[in-house]
Amino acid sequence: MALASVVIAGGGMAGFTAAKSLRAKGFAGKLTIVDPEGIPYDRPPLSKDYLLGHRDAEQIQLIDAGWFADQDIEVIESKVVDLDPEAPAVTLADGTVLHADKVVLATGGTARRLPIPGGQLPTVLELRTKQDADHLRQVLQPGIRLAIIGAGLIGAEVASSALSFGASVTLIDPVDPPLVPAVGEVLARRLHQMHVANGVKLVTGIPTEISVDASGQHAITLADGSSILADVVLVGIGIVADTALAAASGLDTDNGILVDESQRTSHPNVYAIGDTARTRLSDGTLLRRAEHWEHAMNTGETVAAALLEAQLPTHGASWFWSDRHGVHVEGVGSMLGDGTLVTRELDGIPVAAFRVTDEGLLAGCAAIDGGLLVRAARRIIDKNKPVNVEQLADPTIDLKKLAR
Amino acid sequence: MINPINIGSIDDIDEGEAKVIPSDETGTGEDIAVFHAEDGNFYALNDNCTHETASLADGWIEGTEVECPIHAAKFCLKKGTALCMPATQDARTHKVEVSGNDLLLYPNVPAEPVEA
Ligand SMILES: Cc1cc2nc3c(=O)[nH]c(=O)nc-3n(C[C@H](O)[C@H](O)[C@H](O)COP(=O)(O)OP(=O)(O)OC[C@H]3O[C@@H](n4cnc5c(N)ncnc54)[C@H](O)[C@@H]3O)c2cc1C
Ligand code: FES
Repeated sequence: MALASVVIAGGGMAGFTAAKSLRAKGFAGKLTIVDPEGIPYDRPPLSKDYLLGHRDAEQIQLIDAGWFADQDIEVIESKVVDLDPEAPAVTLADGTVLHADKVVLATGGTARRLPIPGGQLPTVLELRTKQDADHLRQVLQPGIRLAIIGAGLIGAEVASSALSFGASVTLIDPVDPPLVPAVGEVLARRLHQMHVANGVKLVTGIPTEISVDASGQHAITLADGSSILADVVLVGIGIVADTALAAASGLDTDNGILVDESQRTSHPNVYAIGDTARTRLSDGTLLRRAEHWEHAMNTGETVAAALLEAQLPTHGASWFWSDRHGVHVEGVGSMLGDGTLVTRELDGIPVAAFRVTDEGLLAGCAAIDGGLLVRAARRIIDKNKPVNVEQLADPTIDLKKLAR
Repeated sequence: MINPINIGSIDDIDEGEAKVIPSDETGTGEDIAVFHAEDGNFYALNDNCTHETASLADGWIEGTEVECPIHAAKFCLKKGTALCMPATQDARTHKVEVSGNDLLLYPNVPAEPVEA
């Protein structure tokens, strides 16, 4: 029987892309997105342009609100509270039951809280939603002492953005430098030093307790016994995949809703995509769960093809970007693993890093303001083109030429 | 009749490359990127990506598409169509003509539909 209806729980990048691709591929059946946050918007600007007030709520919508009506896609502002894979059906917060031929879970995740005393304090902030960003913008007053725990992508971006509010920023991370798995040691060190150069105070340490006094001043205690005082504390240590719905209805989960390469969960009526999904290969191997924007888009496209029983699209090496202190960082593939690490320098400053396997293939690349370098690297990786270590290190060699 | 502007020789832009014509020359208030696509033809789009802020002339030109250098949205050089996320708005096209060795740009005149 042809597919007649689809309900998508969650209208982030993944859920939105699934809906858009279903329509683009000619699906004319009933299509519903359920999301308590309403019209889908983009999250990356929350730590950048939106936080800074350079772009408003309307400007970070993934598409004009009118598009949904034009495409006959119903957006229901509610939460899915129950899933019945067998029916299949979902129950909304107000008790409404929606039946559909297939259900797609695109519920993303929630900010991970620190598992230490004080980690659950309501005054310890996180950044995942537009509302979180609005709140953060409000408290970022000139002179305010902001302590950020976690110097990964979001923590580093907020540190950079907060400086322009005149905040005095302390960035705490257990490792120095952070982000080595994403960009390699050399670029990670350069990026971490940029914080210092721009006036962020860096602290390497493990937080063991957070407390707040009556005046609203927080004290973060570190494992070495030292403590940091702050008016505002933000924790950016990744997310916890939203697996509760899936687990409660008997689907396989393991730090993510487990899916096959077509994004199908352990129940044939239910699919999962984006940050919440984790791929389990046919031999049982679990892949690392991705928490990147492009992965959300790719899996949204894949699920649309899978639901329509069309050929699944192929996606190349994973890719992410980050913006801080006026620079644009990109990474593709993986910088973690065996092989040789190659650094490309310009006037003595590292601008790009590569990981080359023992077979002479490119496995990962990251760059700071690298222009098209990472795009070129991505094509080299996807085409399995052999690379030469000297050429990669030589800043006069245009990687674009090597990729053609 | 709108007068074209002569933006130089066809040899100035290698295949797979692009050149920006600044807004004070285009007269449209916006920079225009002129691309030499891999089909050998020249096409022009507004230079600024329709997603956020990026120069499409700095993008990756492949076939008759350009990929934005910031978040990788792709646009059709012939029609300006936004081909993938995060761009949802098409880019504006402008007509380009080759006259002898010269490239003529017609700012604000949409490119004529090119038969594939
Ligand atoms: C501040 C910030 C900056 C980022 N910057 C970058 C960046 O620079 N580069 C990059 O590659 N990635 C970045 N990311 C990551 C990227 O935004 C995510 O990978 C992406 O948003 C994942 O999309 P998703 O649709 O899977 O999940 P989400 O975007 O989290 O969407 C999930 C949606 O599901 C809804 N939902 C949850 N539970 C339910 C339920 N029970 N019923 C119905 N709806 C539900 C939620 O309201 C939410 O709207 C950033 C993320 C954040 C938070
Ligand atoms: S600015 Fe071009 S895709 Fe974002």
